[in-house]
Amino acid sequence: MAKRTNSKQHRADTEHRHGKGRCLRILRELSAYLDGDLSAEVCREIRRHLGACPNCEDFLASLRQTVSLCRHAPAPVLSARERMRMREAILLRARAR
Amino acid sequence: MASSSSSKPADGHPPQTSAARENFDRLYRDHVDLMYRFANRLCGETEAAKDLVQETFLNAYRGFKDFRGDAQVSTWLYTIASRACLRMRRKRKGAPERELSLDEFIPTHDGEFRLQIPMEGLTPEEALHNKELRQALEAAINKLPKKYKMVLVLRDMEGLSAKEVGSIMGLNERAVKSRLHRARLFVRRELSARGLAHERDGHHRVSRGTRAGA
Repeated sequence: MAKRTNSKQHRADTEHRHGKGRCLRILRELSAYLDGDLSAEVCREIRRHLGACPNCEDFLASLRQTVSLCRHAPAPVLSARERMRMREAILLRARAR
Repeated sequence: MASSSSSKPADGHPPQTSAARENFDRLYRDHVDLMYRFANRLCGETEAAKDLVQETFLNAYRGFKDFRGDAQVSTWLYTIASRACLRMRRKRKGAPERELSLDEFIPTHDGEFRLQIPMEGLTPEEALHNKELRQALEAAINKLPKKYKMVLVLRDMEGLSAKEVGSIMGLNERAVKSRLHRARLFVRRELSARGLAHERDGHHRVSRGTRAGA
C-alpha cells in the first residue's frame, strides 16, 4: 500500500521536483534580474520561482551581496606628494619623446 | 615657462605649448584620483597602478589633440587606461587567461546553491571593515581572467553603464552583460566558498563582534 507523504516532505520534494532545469534557467538570468534588464513578465516569473525555491532564493541573495560588496569596496587614495611626483614624471616623459 | 610651438627649445626636446600644458594640468587635476582608483582595482597593487596611471596620462597628453569630445573625458581616459592595462599585463604575471563557462558555476548539489557570503545582516560598508572579507574580495577579483575583471571593475566598481563599458572595451552590450554575469558568479563562488571553509574550521562568521579590521 502506498504511503501518503506528509506535507513538509511533499514541499521539499516539489521544491526539487520542479527540476534543476528551471533553476538553471533562472540562474542564467539573475544578473539581468538584479540590474533591472528583464521585462515585467519575466521578472514576475522569476519572483514566482524564487518564492517556491529556497535554493534559488539563497543563490540570488549571495549574488546580490557580491555585487553590493564590489560597489562598496574601498580603494587606496593617492597622497598629494605622490600626485605631484607622478605629474612631474609624466611631463618629463612627454618632453623626452 | 612653457615655450610656444614655434620656438626651438635649447635642450632639443619637443616644445610643450602653454595651451597643451594647461589642458594637461586640468585633465590631470580633475581625473588623476579617478584613474588611480581604477588602476588599483585593475592591477591589484599600488606600484603597478602608479605605472598604469602614468602610462594613461602620457598617452592622453600625446593624444589630446585627437580627442573629439563626442565622449565624456572620463570615458576616454578609461579607454586609454584599459588598453594600456592590456598591453602592460601581457608583460606581467596575472591570472591565466581563459574563458569562464556558465556551466562551471552551475551548482551540482543543494549545498552549492545555498553557499552564503559571511555578512550576517551587516551593510556592505560594515562588512568590508573586516580585513579578511576585504582581502578575500580583492583576491577573488584578482583571480578573474582580465577580460572578465575589466567588465566587473568598470560596471560594478566604477559604476558605468553596460553601454559605456561596451564602448570602452569595444564590445556590444550583450557581450558585456554576459561577461559581467560570469564574473559575478566567479566572485560569488570564491567569497561564499571561503565563508563555508571558515565555518568548517570552526571560526566565527563575520559579525559586529568580530570585525578584525575595524
